[in-house]
Amino acid sequence: MGRIKNRIRRLRFDHGEMTQEELANRAGCTRQTIIALEQNRYVPSIELAFRVAKAFGVPLEEVFQCENDK
Amino acid sequence: MAPLQKRALYSFVIGLVLTIVLIVVLVAQGDITAFERDLKLRLVMYAVLIGVPLIYLILVNLTLRKPTQLDERDRRIIERSSWAQWLAVIFTLVAWTIALTEIYRDQGQVPIAFLKLIFMSTLIIGTLAQSLGILVGYWEMNRNG
Repeated sequence: MGRIKNRIRRLRFDHGEMTQEELANRAGCTRQTIIALEQNRYVPSIELAFRVAKAFGVPLEEVFQCENDK
Repeated sequence: MAPLQKRALYSFVIGLVLTIVLIVVLVAQGDITAFERDLKLRLVMYAVLIGVPLIYLILVNLTLRKPTQLDERDRRIIERSSWAQWLAVIFTLVAWTIALTEIYRDQGQVPIAFLKLIFMSTLIIGTLAQSLGILVGYWEMNRNG
């Protein structure tokens, strides 16, 4: 099984430097979880992953990728 | 620091203070039965026995209700910490059972004051173990992911 990577930091930048707090509020989690996700120190549940993708208005695979997928 | 992490730290400090206070009071009284005879001390003990679980419930249920205060990552850490809490409570009860059985074997009865002391110590140990479990959980998650 590959490692799950994400592009949250990049997507926040692309969305007008959305703050971690704002993303956390939109995704329904704590800011600390967003920090942990960005640093690849936490793998979210499917539900949270979908909520993060929805917060950016993009498909799930645009936010999260499995390293083996490449 | 996550909201739950802060509360775990506060609980840990409060638990430690309660433990120290309890030990100091017991040492000052010198005898567990004297502790039971003092009405004021008994009332304080009842207040603590009822107050600590109530405060715990209020803290967990009211202040950590919002998703921005407590999310799936925190809940995963709480679940893991329950294991530490369960072990600590079981070992506390085992220690009390063995100690009281061996000390009061000849008398065939245990002073009633120990009931409160057992409950109090189990409550404090349970709170301390869960708080410590949560703090270690965050530390491990930050280190290993």
